[in-house]
Amino acid sequence: MRKKLFLYGLYGLAGLLITAALAFKIFQPVQVVPRIRLSPGFILIDQNGRSLTNEDLRGKFVLYNFTYTRCPDPCAGMNATIQEIQRRLGEANLGDIEMVFVTISFDPDYDTPERLAAYAQSLNADPQQWIFATTQDKALLKTIIGAGFEAYYEPDGEGGFRFDPKFVLVDGWGVIRGEYRYQTQVPDTERILRHIRVLAEEVHNSKGAASLAYEAAHYFLCYTP
Amino acid sequence: MKRSLPFFLIGLLAGLVLILALLFPRLKPHTFAGTVLQSPEAAPDFTLQSAQGTVSLHDFRGKVVLLYFGYTFCPDVCPTTLAELKTALDVLGRQADSVQVIMISVDPERDTPEVLQRYMEHFHPDFIGVTGELDKIKEIATLYGVYFEKAEGDSEKDYLVNHTATVMAIDPEGYLKLIFPYGTSGEAIAADVAYMLR
Repeated sequence: MRKKLFLYGLYGLAGLLITAALAFKIFQPVQVVPRIRLSPGFILIDQNGRSLTNEDLRGKFVLYNFTYTRCPDPCAGMNATIQEIQRRLGEANLGDIEMVFVTISFDPDYDTPERLAAYAQSLNADPQQWIFATTQDKALLKTIIGAGFEAYYEPDGEGGFRFDPKFVLVDGWGVIRGEYRYQTQVPDTERILRHIRVLAEEVHNSKGAASLAYEAAHYFLCYTP
Repeated sequence: MKRSLPFFLIGLLAGLVLILALLFPRLKPHTFAGTVLQSPEAAPDFTLQSAQGTVSLHDFRGKVVLLYFGYTFCPDVCPTTLAELKTALDVLGRQADSVQVIMISVDPERDTPEVLQRYMEHFHPDFIGVTGELDKIKEIATLYGVYFEKAEGDSEKDYLVNHTATVMAIDPEGYLKLIFPYGTSGEAIAADVAYMLR
C-alpha cells in the first residue's frame, strides 16, 4: 500500500515536471522593448505650414529627434543616422506599419516653416516620411521637448544651443519605447533598427492568441534587447 | 510489471490534469484591457481647481485614479466615457471606495468649477471635475500625451474641442499604469482596476 502511494507520488512528480516544462514553453520570455512612458501631446507647425499633432501620428512608429537648423555638429551625424535607418528600414520587417521621422526644432525664432522646408530639401528628405516641425509657443515647446521627451536644450547666449542629442522611438499607441543618447553606446543605427524590428514583431504577433504571451512578457519581465 | 503500465499512464494523466487545473489560473496572468506602461517615474503631478477647492494628484495616493481629459459641452465622447466609468465603479462595488475618477477640463473658458461639479455629479456623486488656467492645462495635457484644440465653431460661445479621449489609470503609488482607448467598457476597466487593487 505504501509502495503504491509512493508510486503515485512519483507519477505526480513526473506530471508536475512535464507541466512545468509546458508552462515554460507557453510563457517563455518574448523579446519586448519596454513601455517607458507616454509620449507628450502636441500641436506643432510643420515645414509646409500645416499643423502636426501627436494624434496625426497615432498608429505609426515615430522616431523623434530634436535639433536646430543652424546646428553645425552633432546634427549632421544625427541626420546621417536617420538617413541610414531610412535606407535600411527593410531590415525591420515593418509590413504594413508606417514609420515616420519627426525632427523638432527648438529654435522657432529662426526656424520658420520656410527655413525648415529648405533644410528638409538640403537633406533630400522625403516629405511623406520625414517631417520637420516646431511651434512659436516657446514655453509649451520646452514642456514638449524638455519634460515630455526629456531632451535637454538651452540657448548658449551666442545664438546657438547647448543640447542633448537624442532619439526617441514612439509606438502607435503614443508610448515611448526607446530613448537613445546619440553615439553613447552601441551605434544608434543598429540599436534603433533592432528595436523597430522587435516592436514590429510585437505588433504583428499581438493579434489573436499571441497577445497573451506578449502581455505576459510585459508583465513579468522587461528588457531591452 | 505489465499491470502497472496502465496505472502509470492513468496516474500521469490524472496528475497532469490536476496540476494544470490547479496551476493554470495562477500561471495565466491577468490580461489587461488597457495598455500596460512600465512607468519608471511617477505620473506628473498637478494642482487644479474643483468646486470644493484645490485638487492635486498626490491627494489620492493609496487610490487608483482614473484620469480623463474632457469638457462639459462635449456632445458624445465624454458622456459615453464617463458613463462607462460609472459602470466600472458600480461593478467594483465596495472596492470603488479605493478609486477616484478625475476629469480635467480642456475647455477652461466655459467649464468653471461649478459647471464641472454639476456635470460630474450627474454621472456619479464621487466624480471630480477640475479646471485651471489654459496654459497650465496645456502643460498637464502635454505630459499626459493628450492633444486638445478648439475646433471652429458657429460663434464665440458655441464651439467644440478636439481632444485625445483615452482614460488613464494611475496606481495607488502614483505611477501611470494603464491607458484605455476610447470605447473600453466599464466592465473591462473594472476588471483591470480590481487587479491593480488586489
